[in-house]
This record gives sequence, structure tokens and C-alpha cells, in this order.
Amino acid sequence: MTGHVPVLHPEDAVAARRNLLLGVQLGILSEIMLFGALFAAYFVIRGGSPAWPPSGGVDRPELLLPGLNTLLLVSSSVTMQLGVRSAATGKRGMLLRWLALTLVLGGVFIGIQAYEFATNGFGLSDGVFGSTFYTLTGFHGAHVLVGLTLIVIVVNRARLGRIGADRHTAVEAVSYYWHFVDVVWLFLFSTLYVL
Amino acid sequence: MPSPRRHLLTAAAAWAVLSVVSVALVAGIQILPEIASREAQVEDAAFVLLTAAAMPVLMFVLVGLAYSALRFRAGDDDDEDGPPIHGHGGVQAVWLGVSSLLVLGLFGYGAVGLLEIRGSEPADYVVEVVAEQWAWHFIYPDGTETKELHVPVDRRVRLDITSDDAIHSLWIPAFGIKQDAVQGRTTYASMTVTQPGTYGGMCAELCGLGHTGMTVTVVAQSMADLEAWLHDQPPVPE
Amino acid sequence: MMRPSLLRALIGAVLGFAIGGGSLVLLGGGEMGPGQILGLGYLLALLGFLLGIGAFRFWWAWIAGGEVDPADEHAAHGAAGDWRRYLRFTTDHKVIGIQYLVTAFVLFLVAGLAAMFMRFELAQPGIQVNKDFYNTVMSTHGAMMITVALVSIIGGLGNFLVPLMIGTRDMAFPKANALSYWLLPLALLMVAINPLLGGFDSGWTAYPPLSQQANLGQQAYLMAFITIGVSSILSAINFLVTVFRMRAPGMTLFRMPIFVWAMTVTASLVLIATSVVAAAFTMLLFDRLLGTGFFRPSRGGDVILFQHLFWFYSHPAVYIMAVPGLGAILEIVPVFARKPLFAYPLAVASFIGIGVLSFMVWAHHMFVSGMADAFHIPIMFTTEVISVPTGIVFLSALGTIWLGRIRFATPMLFVFGFLAAFLVGGITGVYLADVPTDIVLSDTYFVVAHFHYTIVGGTIYGLFAGTYYWFPKLTGRMYSEGLGRLHFWWFSLAFHATFLPMFWLGIEGMRRRVADYPAEMGAVNLFVSFAALNIGLAVAVFVVNMVRSWRRGPATVANPWRAQTLEWQLASPPPVDNFEHQPTVSATPYQYGSAAAPSPGHPAP
Repeated sequence: MTGHVPVLHPEDAVAARRNLLLGVQLGILSEIMLFGALFAAYFVIRGGSPAWPPSGGVDRPELLLPGLNTLLLVSSSVTMQLGVRSAATGKRGMLLRWLALTLVLGGVFIGIQAYEFATNGFGLSDGVFGSTFYTLTGFHGAHVLVGLTLIVIVVNRARLGRIGADRHTAVEAVSYYWHFVDVVWLFLFSTLYVL
Repeated sequence: MPSPRRHLLTAAAAWAVLSVVSVALVAGIQILPEIASREAQVEDAAFVLLTAAAMPVLMFVLVGLAYSALRFRAGDDDDEDGPPIHGHGGVQAVWLGVSSLLVLGLFGYGAVGLLEIRGSEPADYVVEVVAEQWAWHFIYPDGTETKELHVPVDRRVRLDITSDDAIHSLWIPAFGIKQDAVQGRTTYASMTVTQPGTYGGMCAELCGLGHTGMTVTVVAQSMADLEAWLHDQPPVPE
Repeated sequence: MMRPSLLRALIGAVLGFAIGGGSLVLLGGGEMGPGQILGLGYLLALLGFLLGIGAFRFWWAWIAGGEVDPADEHAAHGAAGDWRRYLRFTTDHKVIGIQYLVTAFVLFLVAGLAAMFMRFELAQPGIQVNKDFYNTVMSTHGAMMITVALVSIIGGLGNFLVPLMIGTRDMAFPKANALSYWLLPLALLMVAINPLLGGFDSGWTAYPPLSQQANLGQQAYLMAFITIGVSSILSAINFLVTVFRMRAPGMTLFRMPIFVWAMTVTASLVLIATSVVAAAFTMLLFDRLLGTGFFRPSRGGDVILFQHLFWFYSHPAVYIMAVPGLGAILEIVPVFARKPLFAYPLAVASFIGIGVLSFMVWAHHMFVSGMADAFHIPIMFTTEVISVPTGIVFLSALGTIWLGRIRFATPMLFVFGFLAAFLVGGITGVYLADVPTDIVLSDTYFVVAHFHYTIVGGTIYGLFAGTYYWFPKLTGRMYSEGLGRLHFWWFSLAFHATFLPMFWLGIEGMRRRVADYPAEMGAVNLFVSFAALNIGLAVAVFVVNMVRSWRRGPATVANPWRAQTLEWQLASPPPVDNFEHQPTVSATPYQYGSAAAPSPGHPAP
């Protein structure tokens, strides 16, 4: 071992937090391209198909449940953002409540998705309609699950007092990710269900 | 010690001489091994033009490198730096201008050539082509199906191409046409053959184990001979 | 306590594979085919490998609600002189750079052996060995070389040098940096063993429908490539945050070394483009394993869709491969011409221009694919236009060399070699950009020659130039100049002798990806095979030089080249924590020729 362990100076810590947020934003940019490719595939395939859904006994899903899901996710973005504000002002109790609410909304979303998948009447291998539908919603759902896991971790850290007004980068970073997941859902809802 | 001006003039002279000589060598040659159609003619002309345009560019860089290696080499004991030249607005502008013009010119020429080859003239004669692993099938207007491609000379022939399985590609070098055969859609290649004769064609997209041997015989003949040949073909078994 | 280590990583991989594959076999009964087993087995093997090497150990504490111990984190940097840190999850960017560089060179040698086999088969007309095996070897050669081109300069030299060149102590995310590296070994192993799984004959391009029918080796390749993509994206995020946020005081963007600019543009391309090919390969895997129909017309899918998605990434990918080489070359040329880099701001603009335009040209790989006709003219236009910023690289290099005081140390030899080879590559690209000529040349050896001229000319010459140039900095020793010259001349002669005839072969009608060809081409192919053998021998000279010099080469001073970028202000090799005092910068590192200019690394007077 060479010398002393370098102590992280306060300015270093601030810079490190800003760096993390930039890193998360760049990662989200990469994920946007991932969904972009999947959407592009959807539009090309749908554009090349004489009818949509292509004939073969598959019906387009009803709008009620996905519509409800949209409300749930949009609300969860609001609660998430309120959580960020609580963290920024040092209100730990409020932070915990807002994050818990976000978790619940997200969890119900997943539940409704699972129910919808089970009762849809078509599967992943039911032609190209099923392929595109489940791949897009499946990737999105996986991202939601990752988001929920991250929120659980942050809730735990908040509970243990690791989050404060001057150190809540984790909450902010997770909020960026969560809003991104919400926006992707809005696109999914419009293209897969409505258009 | 020659002045910068002197260096520039010497190198420019070398470049000019080499460019003129190389362009002259290239200008009259035929690059494609065989030309039997209008399309192949257009393509060969494009090859020659691109090669001629490339010569001055090639010579510019090679002369620059060779001249520099010979004349700007530091001696073994020479520890000095060169002149502190960070850039030159005029040189940069001229470089950008010339390269942009060259590129636009080549693009224009290429676009014209492309429209000539794949423009939307209606076809006089249409043959359907179906590719499969690993053979070609040709279906003529009268319904005859064969494994050899026969086309009439001096008519615009269109091939409507598709595949039953993997991606194949029909390539007839003498006619200058190449077009992928894709399952689930029809692709098109048009040609006007100018020289009657027997030619070779082959698959130009990897399609599995038999790709190497997936060749085809192509015959260009008068319409009368073609129809006679079609008449002689055995009917397709059910 | 179970200390993480390479051995434990391998055990983790085997256990992971057993659990993943085994559980599918037990639970799925007869329905689970080898594809699904390989799929889940590989995923869990990768996880097991990363757990074993200790990739996640700092994040466990954080996940459980604790704090990362800074002393523990610092210890992960490793101690100077301890060779074992190269086999561990070490977070020091200098160690990671060397891990990448050595891995890339080993991969290069293996891929080179594959090429030797290919040229052995192609030395004579007719089939000498086996044409299906030939295609697997050809595909493996391609996949490995593409990987070398993608990671060698940015992962190897980039990781080592960028923090040094901008005057900071490490990359922005050292742990993620180490993770990027350790994602690779298992993926590379998958690519290497794919022949044992049945191989794949589709080439690295993996077009369906052929790739949907192909053997298990195809799947191994697809999964490996996705893994490498994830590693690259993580690495790109690291580079971008480091360059944008951690530069030394005084180093404005237009005072950065051109090599750092090249890494920045490359990282931006990686960040934006890579997910698209990951999506395409995932859809292809779904078609193979889960019964989807993205690329199956019988189920409503679209075959050409794959090509659009694939090339939307893979064209920017060739710039991901070339731009680091261009950056290394432009960084080296001022040092050995003893003149400032000519037109530096324009060179920066041209890198950015190349990056932006690279997203608009992809369909030139598809001119005869049967895609919509409307693409042809716009793509021909953008493809021709991209040669304008690419040409600026030549302006910058030639302008630096002209009127300079040139010393031909080995790095400078490779600079000249690059300029000649990349020039031929670029000019021949115009034939492929022009649709009428591309119709003739598509899928022929002309294309093979073109991309070898651009990638070997750009990336490999850049890699050699950079490795020789920065060798003293990385190792503290000097390489043998004599062996370096031998390597350069032998390699260059062999390279041109191998690939120049291929332009002619393509025009004459020799197709790609076939183990056989018309008998008339036998003599030329025999010559090419003999020349290719010489490439291998020349590279062997390089390997000998590197190994001998690293172990026993003469010790070198901090700045043997009298260069001005910040890494040369440090000892060779640099101390673990890089700079003892924060350097400040007041100019570009190309202040040659003016006696009054201070070295940018010292505080301004």
C-alpha cells in the first residue's frame, strides 16, 4: 500500500453526486434507443400488414384496464416527484410515505398487467401481433420491476437515516428512471392500445 | 534550405504530372470483365469515372507523404521543432470546398446513373423468379417453368424475384444486375440485354450449405428463338 | 472469508450454468431444447462469474442500507507492482486499460489463426477441408475481429490514458469500469467455443432467415454480442461523464487532446447506437427460442426489418472502430513532426460531423436487399457526404507533417502506414456508396478488401501506433526500435499484398463467404494466402517485441518523446493515484515550435 487513504472532500462529494445523476441520464438515453428500436420494429411490421391485428382470431385488447394502468403510473410519477421534494427539504417521514405510495401504485400496475396478460387470449407465439405486443410490454414490465426494486432499496435507506436534504442523490436518480418508465408507458399505451 | 513556397511548387508539380498520367491510363479502359447489357454499360462508365476521379486524390496524399518523408526528415542530431503553424484558413476553406464539390459531382453522376438503371420504364417482358435452397426457378409469361433463364435481347426485361426460404441474391455479372430474393416480398431487377449469348449467374447472398454451387445458366436470344425454346420445354409436373 | 478471485469467478460460472440449464431440464421436461438451456445457463453463468470475481461487493452494502467503506474502495485500486491485480476486480483505470489491451491482443491472435485457416482453404480452388466448417471459422473470425476493433483502443488505451490526459485521478465510475471489463471474458469464451456448439455460418451479420435456422453456435454468438454491447454502453457512460465533468482547471473543451475528443465522439456513438443492435439480436433470439415472428414472413414478420435495425447500429459501429484509431494517429503525428496539430478545431468538428452523419448512412449496406427504392438516392447522398469530414483527418495529418521536422520512430511509421491504407479504404468506399457500382460489387471480395483497408488501416494501424507510442508510459520500459521497424515493414507489405488483389478478385466475380471459387482465380488466391501468412509472421514479431520489452526492456524516462499531453508529466508508469498536485492547463498540448510556450501541464507563470 502506498500512502494515506484520500479523504473525499466535500467538493468532491458534491461533484460525485452530480456525476452519478449525469450517468443515470446517459443510461436512460441508451434505454430510449432500446425502446426506440422495439417501437420501430412494431411500426414497420404493422405498416407492412394489410390488417391489424392480422387476421387469425386475435382481438385487440380492451382499453379499460390499460387506461387504468395509465392513471396509476402517471400518479406514481407525481408521488415520486413529491418524494424527491420531501427528500430535498429533509422531511424524512413524508419521503417515506410518498415512496411507499409510489410502490403501491407501481405494484398494482404490475398486478393488472399480469391479469391482463393471463386473460388476453393470445400469447407471445401467436403471430406477429403477439410477438410485438408482449415484447414491448414485457420489456416495459421488466423495467417497472427494476424500478420497484430500486424504490424498495431507497425506502430502506431512508428508513435507516441515510438520506438527507444534502444527500438524496439516490432518490433523485431513481426518480429520473421512474419518470422515464412512465413516459415509455404513455407511448406504449398510445401505440399498442389506442392507435 | 528551400523556402516553403519552393516545397509547395515542387510537390504540386509532381502531383500534377502523376495525376495526368494516371488519369490518362485509366480513362479508356474497361473495368467490368463482361458487358452485355445497357445496365452493365452504365455501371462500367461509372467505374471508369470514379477511378479517374480517384487518381488525383490518391496522388495528392501519396505525393504529400513521400515528399514529406524525403524532404522534411529531421537529421539524427536535430532536436529542433518545426514552425508553429496551427492552421491556415485559406487552405482549410479550399480543402472543404474542393472535397464538397467533388462529392456533389460524384453524387449527381451516380444519381443519374441509378435512375437510368432502375428507372421506372415499363417492362416489355416479365419473368418470375423463385429462389430456394439451392436452386433457381423461372416462370415465363406463358406459364412455362424452367431452371435456366432465357431472356430476349433488345427488350426491357423485368425479373420479379422472391424466395421460398433464406435470402438469396440473383447476380448476372454480364448484365450488371444483382437483386436479393426475400421471403415474403417481391423484389425487382430490370435489364436490357444488348449481346446475345450464354452467360453465367450465381447466388450472391449466403444461403446455407449449397450456396457455393447455386449457379444458373443464362441465355440471351432473339424473341423468336426464345419462344421456340419455351415451346420445347416439358410441362411442369403437377 | 471467501475472497473474490478469478478462480471463484470460474466456479461461479460453472455453478450458474448448472443451475440455469439444470433447472430448465428438470422443470421443463422434454419441451426445453438446447437453445433455452444454453440461454438461461449462460445468463446465470455470467451472474455467477461476476459474483465470484466480486463485481458487486461494494454495492451489497449500499443495497442493504449501509455505506461503502472508502478504505475498502481505495484498496480495490490495488497496490503498485502487484501483478495479481490484473486478475482481480481492480478499479484502477490503468489496470483496467491493460486488462482490455492484453485481452484484445490475445483475441486478435486467435482471430488471426482463424484467418490463417480460411486462407489455407482458399489457397486453391475446390474444397480442401469442409465448407460448413469454413463458414463457421469465417463467422468466428469476423465476430472476434469486430470485437477487437470495438474495444481495443477505447477500452485499452482509452481507459489508461483519458483520466491522465485530462488531469484527474480516475474515471467517474471506477467500479462500473471494472464491471465493464469483467463482462467480457465469458462472452469471449462463448464466441471462441461456438464451433463446439455446432458453429454458425451466417457471418457476424446474422441475417434471418438463415440465422433462425442455424445451429446453436449462432445463439452463442448472439448472446455474447449482446453482453459485449452492455459492457460497451456502461463504458461509454463512464467516458462521457469523466470527460464532461472531471477535466483539470483550464482545460476547456477546445484544449483537450484530440485523442480525448475521439474517445468522446466514440463513446457518444456507443451510447446511442448499441441498444439498437441489442434489440435486433434479442428479437432474433426470441424468434429462435420463444416462437415469436419478428423476422418470419409466415407469421407476419419482415425479413428486411432485421437488416435495417442491424445496420442502424453497425454503420455507426464502424466509426466506433475507426475514430479511436484516427484519434490516436492525430495525437501522435504532432509529436514526431514537432509541429502543432494542423487545424485542430476543424479536426474536432470533423469527428463530430462523422459521428452525426454515421446515423444517416446505414442503408448503403442494403442497396440490393430489396428495401424500398426511396432509400437509394438519399442514402447515396449522405454516404458520399460523410467522406468530406473523413477527409479532414487527412488535411490535419498532412498539414501537420508538411514543413515539419520528422523523426521516424515506429509510431510515426505506423502513422504514415495508416495514411496510405485508410486512404485506399476511403476511396474504395466511394465505389460502394455509388449505387450503380455497388450493384456490381455487393457481396464480392471488393467489399472484403474495402473494410479490411479501412479497419486495419484505421483501427489496427492506429492500435499499433498507439501501443508503441504509449508503451513507455504503460510499462516504464522502451520497446525495441529494430523489431518495431521490422514489424512495420513486414506487416505493411504483407497487408497490401493480401488485400489489394482482392479488389480485382471482387470485380472479376469472386463472391464473399464461400469456400470455393472459379479455377481461373486460383493463382491470385494462392498468392493472397501466402501474403496472409506473412501478416501472421509480422504480428509474431510484434508480440515478441512487446513481451521481451515489457519484461526486460531498458527503463525509460517520464517523457521520452518530449510530448506535451499531461500523461507525459507523470512517471512511467504513473503512480497509482496519478497526480499528486492538480495540474492546470493554459493551452492545447500542441505548442510545438514556439520557444515561449510553456508546457500545458505546469502552472501558468
